[in-house]
Amino acid sequence: MSNAFVLHADERGYDKILSTGATAAYAGGHPDAFITRCSSFNFGDYQDGRPGFGRIRVFGDEAFYHPGCSYNMHPHHNFIICAFVLEGKLTHINTLGQIDELGPGDYYAFSAGSGGLHEELNRHQEPMRAIYLWLLPDRLLLPPSYERGHFDATAGLNRISALVGDQAGTLTIPQDAGVSRLVSNTPGTFRYRPRSAGHGVYAFVIDGMVRCDGTTLKRRDSKAVWGADEIIYETHAGDTDVLLVETII
Amino acid sequence: MTDDALKRWICLGCGFSYDEAMGLSAHGLTPGTRWRDIPEDWVCPDCGTPKSRFEMVEIPYAAGQPAAQVAA
Ligand SMILES: [Zn+2]
Repeated sequence: MSNAFVLHADERGYDKILSTGATAAYAGGHPDAFITRCSSFNFGDYQDGRPGFGRIRVFGDEAFYHPGCSYNMHPHHNFIICAFVLEGKLTHINTLGQIDELGPGDYYAFSAGSGGLHEELNRHQEPMRAIYLWLLPDRLLLPPSYERGHFDATAGLNRISALVGDQAGTLTIPQDAGVSRLVSNTPGTFRYRPRSAGHGVYAFVIDGMVRCDGTTLKRRDSKAVWGADEIIYETHAGDTDVLLVETII
Repeated sequence: MTDDALKRWICLGCGFSYDEAMGLSAHGLTPGTRWRDIPEDWVCPDCGTPKSRFEMVEIPYAAGQPAAQVAA
């Protein structure tokens, strides 16, 4: 018996975080800089939705506007924080000694473990858009780690590509969870088999449209399914880009 | 785990973890201080998230932990 929920784009939490006023200590940049964040799950002052899904606690669809726009350097413990850059360029700085600039298709996994600080920064005029995913770890206070990867949308066309997890070539994280991406430009049927009945998959449509077990999901809509042997994603003739997060429930 | 077992709580704003067994000496919470006995207006020492936005977790520690967690 499988279970599911659907979350439409306009049902998510919305924050606009300014570089001035009450949020100035948190968001940096010139006075016109701001971050927009659409949250699929409870986060910060947005507490009207779901607390999470499986080990997912944050799923933020974010944009950083104007040069210098940033979350200033701030501390974390424990959470595994992943960013998937969609547009523009993201500068990621952390206390593991990394200063990294990531472009479209690039992604990272930063496991804060026993403690680490990071800054997320757009240094350019072009807006930076990224998906931020936070997962609980399977152990508390692990040694912090940082890895980056790249998704090649051309090589990954019309199939499901693993980005994070325990498959070859993916970024490894300390949790029974993984991330894949489905990019398609032609009608297709993609069958996803979760690794057990105790796993679920949260599918988020970055662009385009997909049918997930019969539900039509448009841009920035999402659907979670758990307890299923197989989940069917059907793409159409246009461009489709879907992020799939599998997690133990 | 029984209801009386000492528990761990994690800040949903930043991931800071509070362990009832460890307390948080730097913030006046002696080892064994129960979550329920921490004032309701207490906030995360790292990020200011209110006590109400912590989640109780049953996640084991990494090897060699817990050393005293140092707030940043
Ligand atoms: Zn915190």
